[in-house]
Amino acid sequence: MIAYYFQRLIEIFPFFLKGLWMTVIVSCLGLIFGTIFGFIMGVLRSQKIRLFNWPIGIFVSVIRGTPFVVQIFIVFFIFPEWGIQLNAISAAVLALTILGTAFICEIVAGGIKAVPKGQWEASASSGLSIVKQLRLVIIPQALRTILPPLVGQYVLLIKDSSVVSVIGVVELTRVGWLTVVRIPEGLMVFSLVGILYFVISYPLIRLSNGLEKKLSVGQISL
Amino acid sequence: MIKFKDVNKWFGSLHVLQNINVHVKPGEVVVICGPSGSGKSTLIRCINRLEKFQDGELHVDGMPLHNYSINLTKLRAEIGFVFQQFHLYPHMTALENVTLAPIHVRKIKKKEAKEIGMEKLVRVGLGDKASSYPDQLSGGQQQRVAIARGLAMSPKILLFDEPTSALDPEMIGEVLDVMIKLVDEGMTMCVVTHEMGFARQVAHRVIFMDEGEIIETEKPDQFFDNPQTERAALFISKILTH
Ligand SMILES: Nc1ncnc2c1ncn2[C@@H]1O[C@H](COP(=O)(O)OP(=O)(O)OP(=O)(O)O)[C@@H](O)[C@H]1O
Ligand SMILES: [Mg+2]
Repeated sequence: MIAYYFQRLIEIFPFFLKGLWMTVIVSCLGLIFGTIFGFIMGVLRSQKIRLFNWPIGIFVSVIRGTPFVVQIFIVFFIFPEWGIQLNAISAAVLALTILGTAFICEIVAGGIKAVPKGQWEASASSGLSIVKQLRLVIIPQALRTILPPLVGQYVLLIKDSSVVSVIGVVELTRVGWLTVVRIPEGLMVFSLVGILYFVISYPLIRLSNGLEKKLSVGQISL
Repeated sequence: MIKFKDVNKWFGSLHVLQNINVHVKPGEVVVICGPSGSGKSTLIRCINRLEKFQDGELHVDGMPLHNYSINLTKLRAEIGFVFQQFHLYPHMTALENVTLAPIHVRKIKKKEAKEIGMEKLVRVGLGDKASSYPDQLSGGQQQRVAIARGLAMSPKILLFDEPTSALDPEMIGEVLDVMIKLVDEGMTMCVVTHEMGFARQVAHRVIFMDEGEIIETEKPDQFFDNPQTERAALFISKILTH
């Protein structure tokens, strides 16, 4: 029997690859947008400007303090009530973007705050504008602190993307559910699902560890 | 060139600068000394607006710093600032440290900026260290790169906040030598320092501060040999026994 199911599993393997592809697409878009908005918000948050600091603080707390599955339901079911129509894939990307933004914002703000105050003073003293101080002096140094946890956050986002199966996006986890109905060998099916997640996460984990080692010792020019 | 008129500054309830009146003319070298916490750093940091003040007037290079809407970039481009802890950019080579502001503030072409940068590094005796990173340089070398970084903008004024206090004794001389060379070239300088030898040799005036006030302004020899106030005398005896 096992052999038979294994045979079937191999037959429908392309279906898994499609799911994997969807997982990659949805989480890549989420982490790209999340990185962009997270950097913008993180920079603003590090500046102690009251106008931004307060709302960003609340946003981050709310997102970090509620389960992702609840957030995605809100995006998918409640936003349309406010006139924002989203298909499941867009809703998934949007929810992942919001989640990524909140976490990346904190990582970026923390990295910027870790740059010694003297670096701001030295670059300001030479006449650089705030934007150039950030771009040329502060962020390149902050990246040392930011990059390892940022890549770690990407791994978490990829894994969190499994939650978007609840709104019907046919990504890897959803493919697992759909398959188990036909091949009632849960261990076998979800082992395959797990292996496929691992295949995309592992290089990032290695990258994160590598960055940590590389950035913590010696001189690198960014 | 720099003119403080009745400047007052508070940090919360702490009155750090009290009725400051100072006038620094072009080409003048002023040494500022005084006990820790007396407001020396705060005073010179006002000159390039690293600190704001609440009351009084301050003109620097013709710009009224008491007006909050001045062009900071324009002001700071004309003033070099050398910190106690150097604050070189650790992710850039010595030459990149020096050329950053010329390229991005003065908009000088990279190639030309490099030539200027090399010239300044040679001037502080570090022509051979252009491609070294700060953590590959000694403290004295780092501070000289920091001075070259200030010079690269061809500033009208150079400010120094205890430039030798973070250095091992054997490196103090090399930094002071560079500063003395700048004095000889006619640079306008305000130097917070307790280096009496430097003050005696090159300063036109010594300003002694205590608890936010300017207590004495004298020629260096007069100040060190014949202080007019007890506070100054006490301070001088302390740095002498140090
Ligand atoms: N950002 C700040 N906020 C509050 N108080 C400050 C701040 N910066 C300095 N002070 C206080 O202002 C006073 C003057 O400080 P300042 O750094 O100008 O002294 P200083 O003469 O340079 O001393 P030192 O020789 O130790 O460098 C000190 O009492 C200090 O504690
Ligand atoms: Mg000081």
